[in-house]
Amino acid sequence: MKKHGMLFNAQLILTLACCAFLIIPICQSVLTGLSTNAFKGVSSGLTLRWVDEVWTLYSDTIFRSLFIGLACLAVCLAVGVPAAYFMVRMKNRWTKMLEELLVLPLAIPGLAIALGILLCYGGFTEFRMSWLIILAGHVIFCLPFMVRSVAAVMAMVDLDGLEEGAASLGAGFARRFMNVVVPNAMPGIVSGALMVFTLSVGEFNLTWMLHTPMTKTLPVGLADSYASMRLEIGSAYTIFFFALIIPLLTAMQWVGSRSIANVSAAQNADDSMEEQTMTTDIRRHEGRGVPVRLRDCGKTFPDGTLALKPFDLTIEAGQTVVLLGPSGCGKTTTLRIIAGLETPDAGGRVFFGDDDVTGVPIEKRNVGMVFQSYALFPNMTVARNIEYGLRVRGDDDARRTGRVREMLRMMRIEHLADRRISQLSGGQRQRVALARAIAVRPRVLLLDEPLTALDAKLRDSLREEIDTLLKRLGITAVYVTHDQSEAMALGDVVVVMKNGEVAQQGSPRDIYFKPENGFVADFIGTVNTVQCKVNGDRLLLPGGRELSGDSIIPPKTPEGSRAILLFRPEAAEMNSDGHGLLRGEVLSSCFLGDRNRLRVRLPDDSICTLDAPGRQSFHTGKTVSFDVPHHSFRLLSEEESC
Amino acid sequence: MPRSAKDQTMPFTNKRRAALMGLPMGAVLLAFFLLPMARLILETGSEGGLRLYWDALTSARYATSLFYTTALSAAVTLVSLALSGVVGVFLARNTFPGKRLLVSMLTFPLAFPGVVVGFMVILWAGRQGLLGQLTKALTGDKIVLAYSMTGLFLGYLYFSIPRVVTAVMAAAKKIDRELEEAARSLGASPRLVIRDVIIPALTPAFISSGAICFATSMGAFGTAFTLATNIDVLPITIYTEFTLSANIGMAACLSVILGTITWATLFAARIVAREDSIGAAG
Repeated sequence: MKKHGMLFNAQLILTLACCAFLIIPICQSVLTGLSTNAFKGVSSGLTLRWVDEVWTLYSDTIFRSLFIGLACLAVCLAVGVPAAYFMVRMKNRWTKMLEELLVLPLAIPGLAIALGILLCYGGFTEFRMSWLIILAGHVIFCLPFMVRSVAAVMAMVDLDGLEEGAASLGAGFARRFMNVVVPNAMPGIVSGALMVFTLSVGEFNLTWMLHTPMTKTLPVGLADSYASMRLEIGSAYTIFFFALIIPLLTAMQWVGSRSIANVSAAQNADDSMEEQTMTTDIRRHEGRGVPVRLRDCGKTFPDGTLALKPFDLTIEAGQTVVLLGPSGCGKTTTLRIIAGLETPDAGGRVFFGDDDVTGVPIEKRNVGMVFQSYALFPNMTVARNIEYGLRVRGDDDARRTGRVREMLRMMRIEHLADRRISQLSGGQRQRVALARAIAVRPRVLLLDEPLTALDAKLRDSLREEIDTLLKRLGITAVYVTHDQSEAMALGDVVVVMKNGEVAQQGSPRDIYFKPENGFVADFIGTVNTVQCKVNGDRLLLPGGRELSGDSIIPPKTPEGSRAILLFRPEAAEMNSDGHGLLRGEVLSSCFLGDRNRLRVRLPDDSICTLDAPGRQSFHTGKTVSFDVPHHSFRLLSEEESC
Repeated sequence: MPRSAKDQTMPFTNKRRAALMGLPMGAVLLAFFLLPMARLILETGSEGGLRLYWDALTSARYATSLFYTTALSAAVTLVSLALSGVVGVFLARNTFPGKRLLVSMLTFPLAFPGVVVGFMVILWAGRQGLLGQLTKALTGDKIVLAYSMTGLFLGYLYFSIPRVVTAVMAAAKKIDRELEEAARSLGASPRLVIRDVIIPALTPAFISSGAICFATSMGAFGTAFTLATNIDVLPITIYTEFTLSANIGMAACLSVILGTITWATLFAARIVAREDSIGAAG
C-alpha cells in the first residue's frame, strides 16, 4: 500500500470533520427520538413511545406530502417531458427565452413566489383552502429540475437520426415520440422523477406560506413539532423524515451510477471479427422496385444557401444509382428529397412510378433507409429493430416473426436476434440497419454513406455483399457516397455531383473513361492533364510532337484554340528508344510491386503521373519517353476543364 | 404554382407539432409563475411605487436586515467554497476504503428542507446541544450558539457544503490528468500545480456553485424560521411584514428586492462562467 503524505492526511482530516459536522446531529436526532428522556439521552433507555405519538399526531401530514409529491410528479411528467423535447428539438429564440424562464424559479426564493401566488389567487377561497395551491407551488419549484434532467439526456441521444429512422419505417409523430424519444430519454426521466418527488416531499418555503391548518405537509408538521419545544417529539418526527428520504436518495444514486455504467458499456461494444457473408441464397426477387423520377428538384435552405440547383433525374425500376461527390455537393440533399426528409423548392416534383409523392411525408412513402449513423433504436433488441417497420404497418405476429427470421437469415445474423444494439460491432450494426430497411419491402431503398463509419477492410467486404444483395433483390436503390471506388463497384448509374449540380451522369465505365469535364476526370481516379493547341486536325503537344486529332477533336473546334488532353496513368506505355509521343524528367519513382508509379515533369513544366512496369527501375533526374494509345486520350476545351 | 406556407415547412420536422409540445409548460409557467410575479411587482406599484423601494432601502430596520442577510450569505459562500473545494478535490482524486460511504454521508443533507437543517443546528449548539454539554463538561460554562448569528452561519453552512461538494467533485473528475502531469514534467511543484492547473480548471464550478450557494442562503427561510433568532434575515422580515404587520406592500417590495438580488447573482455567474469556459476551450 502506498504511504500517504502529510497533504493527504490533512485533506482526509478536513473531510472527516465536514462529515462529522453533517452526520453527528442526524445520529443525535435519531437517538433522541428513541430515548425515553431526551435530556439524559440513550442511558435513560430506548422507547418507541415518541415515534408512536408522532404517528398519531402527524401521520396525516406524511400521507398528504406523499400524495402531493405524486401529484406533482404526475404533472411534471406530463408537462416536463414534452417540454424537454420541445427545447432540444427546436433551437430558436423561443426556446432560449424558455430556458431563461426555467432558471427563474430556481433563482427566485420560494417565499417571493409563494407571496405572488397568494396575491394572485388568494381570492379564490376554494383554491386557497385546498391542497391544489400547494401543488401549484411545488410544480413551479420542481418543473425546471425535470425539464433539465430530461433535456440533458435527450441532447446526448442522436434524436434526429433515431426519429428519421423511425419515420423512414413509417412511424408517425406520436408513435415516434412514444417508441423512440421517450424510451431513449428514460434515464433522464427516471432521475428527474426521483428528484421531483424528493424535492416536493421536502419543500418548506413555499408550502409554509401556502398551507392552511387543514393542508399541512410533512415539513410543515416538522416545523410545528420543533416549535412545540419538545425535543423528543421533534426528533422522533425527524426519524420519519429520514426514513422517507433515505430510500429516495439511495435510488437516485443507484440510477446515477447505472446510467454511467450504461454509457461506458455502450463505448465498449466489441468490434472484432466479422461473421459469414450475407445474402448467398436469395432465390426470388423481392421485385417491388419502382422507377423514381425527380422533376425540377432544387433545394434552398431557410438561411438562403442554395444546396441543390433544380435538376431532373430518372432512376429505372430495379436500378442502383450512386450519387457521388465531395461533401457539400448536394448528394445527401437529393437523397433526403427522395426520402421525404426534405421538400424540394416550389415547382420540384418527386414521382415513385406514377405517384406524385412530393407532399407525402417520409412515413407514408414506403421507403427503406440506411443511415450513415445507422439510427438503430438502442432501446430495442436486434429483432425488435427489424420488426419495427412491420409493427407500425400493423402486420400480425406470425407474419412479423416470419419476416424477421427471413431477414436475420439473409444477413446471417440469426445468433444476434436478442442482442442489444450497444453489444454489436460496426459491421453487425450495418447488417441490422440493412435488414431493418429491407424488411418492410420498400419501394425504394436509400443508403446514405452506409460504409463510412467502418474500417477499410470491412468496408471492402461489405461493399461486395451489398452489391450482391442489391442485384439479387432487384430493388430500386439510391446510394450516396463520397468514395469513388464504392460508386464504381455498386452503381448501374453513377451521378457525379458538384456544388449542387450534376457534373456527369452515366455508367461507371463512361464516367471513368469518358469524363465530360475536368472535375469528373479528377474526382474519379488519377488523371493527367496536358495543355495542347489545336492545329487543323492535329494537336500540338508539349515537347513539339503532334498527335492526329481524328475522333479526339470534336467538330467545330476553333483553329488555334488551346485545349486540355486527359489520360490516365495506366494508359502510359514506356518507350525505351526515346521516340515516344511525350517525354519528361523523372521527379520521383515509387515501387508498388506490380508497377512503378512515376512523377514526370514535361517540357512545359506540367507534371504527369505514370504507371511503368514493376520490373524496370527508374532513376530520379533521368528523362523518359512514353506513348499513350490514341483511344485513351480525351480532349476537353478550356472551359470544360475546370 | 404559388409558394404556399406548406411548401416551406418540411414534412418531417413537424415544427408545429414540436412547438405544441412546449405549450403545456408555457401555460403552467404563465399561470403560476409569470402572473404571480407580475402581480407582486404591481402590488408594490400600487402601494407607493418607487417611494416604497426607497423606504425599504433606507429605513434602518429593513436596511439592517438586508445588510445582515447579504453579509451572512457572502461569508457562508466563501467558507463553504474553501471547505468543499478541498474536500471535493480530495474525494474526486483519491480512492481509499470507505470513500463511497463518506461521499454518501456528505451528500445526504442535500434533500433536507431548511427546517430540518435548523433542527440539526439546535441539536449541535442549542440549549441541550452537544456543544453545550461538551463545554460544560470541560470548562463549566455552557456555550449556546444556535440562536445567534453563529447559529445561522452553522445552519447555512450545513446545507451549503453538500451542494458545493457535489459540484466541485463533478468538476474535479473532469480535470485532464495529463495537464497536471505536463505541469509536473515541466518542473512545477505540487503547490504550483494547484495554483496553475487545478484552481483554474475548477474556477467555473466555483463560480456557479458559489452563486447558487449565495442565492440559496439569501432566500433561506426554513432554517432561520426554526432557529427563531433575534436577528431578522430578509426572508423572516418579509414573512413578519406579511403575516404580523399585514404590510403587504412592503412584503412584496422586499420580495422583489430579494428576488432581484438572487436572480442577478445567478445571471452574472452564468455569464462569467460561460466566458470562462469559452476561454478555457479556445
